[in-house]
Amino acid sequence: MPVLVQLNCDIRIIKFIYLMLKRPLTSAARGTAMSVYFLKESDLTFFLGRLLASSPVIAPVAKKSKFVFAELGSAAELRLDYDVTLLPPKTAFFPVKQKLLDFGPDGPKSAITPRKQVLFGVHFYDIKGIDMLDQLFAEGHRDNNYLANREATTVVGSSIQKVSSRAFFSTVGTDVQPRGHDAFLTHVTAGYVFETRTPKGEALISFGSFEKATAAQIEEAAGVNAAVLKRCPEKLEHSSELIAVKVRNAFANEELWTDLAKDCFSCGSCNIVCPTCYCFDVQDRWNLDQVSGTRHRTWDACLTNDFSKVSLGAGGSENFRERRGQRFRHRMMRKAAYLNEKLGGPACVGCGRCSAGCVPDIADPVRIINRIVGGRHGSSV
Amino acid sequence: MGHQCKSTIENLFMPEEAEIVRAEFMTPAEKHFTLRLKSGKAMVFEPGQMLEVSLFGFGEIPIGFASSPTRKGTFDIVVRSVGRVSSALNRLEKGDSLWVRAPLGKGFDLEKMRGRDVLVVAGGIGLCPTRSLINYILDRRSEFGKFTLFFGTKTPKDQLFREDLAQWRISKNVEFHETVDRADENWKGNVGVITTLFKNTTISPDTVAVICGPPVMYKFVIRDLDRIGIARDRIFVDLERRMKCGVGKCGHCQMNDLYVCMDGPVFPYSKVQDREEAFG
Repeated sequence: MPVLVQLNCDIRIIKFIYLMLKRPLTSAARGTAMSVYFLKESDLTFFLGRLLASSPVIAPVAKKSKFVFAELGSAAELRLDYDVTLLPPKTAFFPVKQKLLDFGPDGPKSAITPRKQVLFGVHFYDIKGIDMLDQLFAEGHRDNNYLANREATTVVGSSIQKVSSRAFFSTVGTDVQPRGHDAFLTHVTAGYVFETRTPKGEALISFGSFEKATAAQIEEAAGVNAAVLKRCPEKLEHSSELIAVKVRNAFANEELWTDLAKDCFSCGSCNIVCPTCYCFDVQDRWNLDQVSGTRHRTWDACLTNDFSKVSLGAGGSENFRERRGQRFRHRMMRKAAYLNEKLGGPACVGCGRCSAGCVPDIADPVRIINRIVGGRHGSSV
Repeated sequence: MGHQCKSTIENLFMPEEAEIVRAEFMTPAEKHFTLRLKSGKAMVFEPGQMLEVSLFGFGEIPIGFASSPTRKGTFDIVVRSVGRVSSALNRLEKGDSLWVRAPLGKGFDLEKMRGRDVLVVAGGIGLCPTRSLINYILDRRSEFGKFTLFFGTKTPKDQLFREDLAQWRISKNVEFHETVDRADENWKGNVGVITTLFKNTTISPDTVAVICGPPVMYKFVIRDLDRIGIARDRIFVDLERRMKCGVGKCGHCQMNDLYVCMDGPVFPYSKVQDREEAFG
């Protein structure tokens, strides 16, 4: 390796370690358990029923043969045996279409109107996705359109009962622990171990017939959560640090990116299903009265052709990422290098949604990263 | 009017109303607006910073300040009709209102320029954001060394700010050089791309240089600045991208790991020279 490249790598690794150390522990309070309770299997419905009577509960429910996060109509709809949901639970704070402002003859009004809600049954990988968005929406200019909804939400995690066919959550960002939750529910033989992590989580105890968990129940829960990590069908084979350096250094390999993206439809599905993607477009809409309307944001996708395009007039335009390979590369640079360096781990939680959602099946981060870094599942480039 | 938000939570996307005190087309497509905040508050900004300018029902677009903060009370923007929002804005007249979020982004490093020679190289509509800096320097002339301005357009008809140009041509405070790619019958000046102006003057290696223009222009100007020996952290480039939110969130203006709306739009060249996506 040329000296300069080597030096560059070393500097990046040092910078990476520095960033890991200075990472703000904004949710540090969520890091340790407050109390651990036990809820009998038969008492879950009663608990949820009472919770539903007090605030909206967003939780995994079945949608044909798949699962989605949706507002529960009744406790019976809850499906804690889901593998993965179609869209990530960020929809609870950052919906696909979010109103930012109302406007009319009297000018604009802010549309920030948070409501108290419970987001229930979130797998740990999706909690990590929420952690990343918490940091990204708060850094620099604080975006209260997201943060106000986030603050008003109590997040309850859930153990993973079924593992999806493309998951690799056990081998990505392994040194990054999920923090952004108020309580965590683990399914054990006789019911659920319910660990509260914040006062918001502790406040949920009054809604159900909880008793103190025994040492054996706590141990069983730990075993359940450890065992699921061994069941991931896909494996990333490298450390976050190595991935950041190697992927970044592959930037100039045009041939690689053109080849990786040769079957890409530029549809943006990999972006849309991703728990850590947060790009958006801002648009205005008139109401039917033609004097008032709304300014809102909708999810956007950097894989689509016009994402970076600017208008030059007279039908002309400049597209700063014109080729599919450039857009495909940008997504991987963000996930594996740029945000990896900022967040202390890849902006990827191993949910496998992009792998499953990509029609030509070229979006799988495991295959892309293992190909670039080299490993058992792919030839080194 | 204005901030009637019921919520007390600050909303990044809430714009302020600005009244148009002067509106004039400079070319068939480019309109020069002079604005004043309806609230009566002063607009506090630095040359090179930008605004998100909007018209409700149409949308929001990023535009650089075209006036110097040394000229208080009002501020200027230039809108080129290229799309839905800009075409709607250019139908507005004196007395109408539009909406702004500003100031956004990082402007020119004035501290680095003070006491030194300054060269501004502006191509086409690139004169708009640099006019903010040009007039700043002219208003505080004693704080800077030799001041040279290069301005190039495709044809004489594309020249903007004709009143300013007329002043600069005769001013002793700026060495002004202009060129066009294609002359017409009345044009007496230089013909050729903007870098052909370097042969008409002497630029010292201690100069701080500023470049703003179409994407293709940068690498040719930088080649000449390199030849002169100007250090790359003393070359400032003002870049354009699709700065949709202006606050470092929406992702459209990303250039490698940088957000042009937050880290720029003005960058020292040394910061972006290794970013592969900066100059394509």
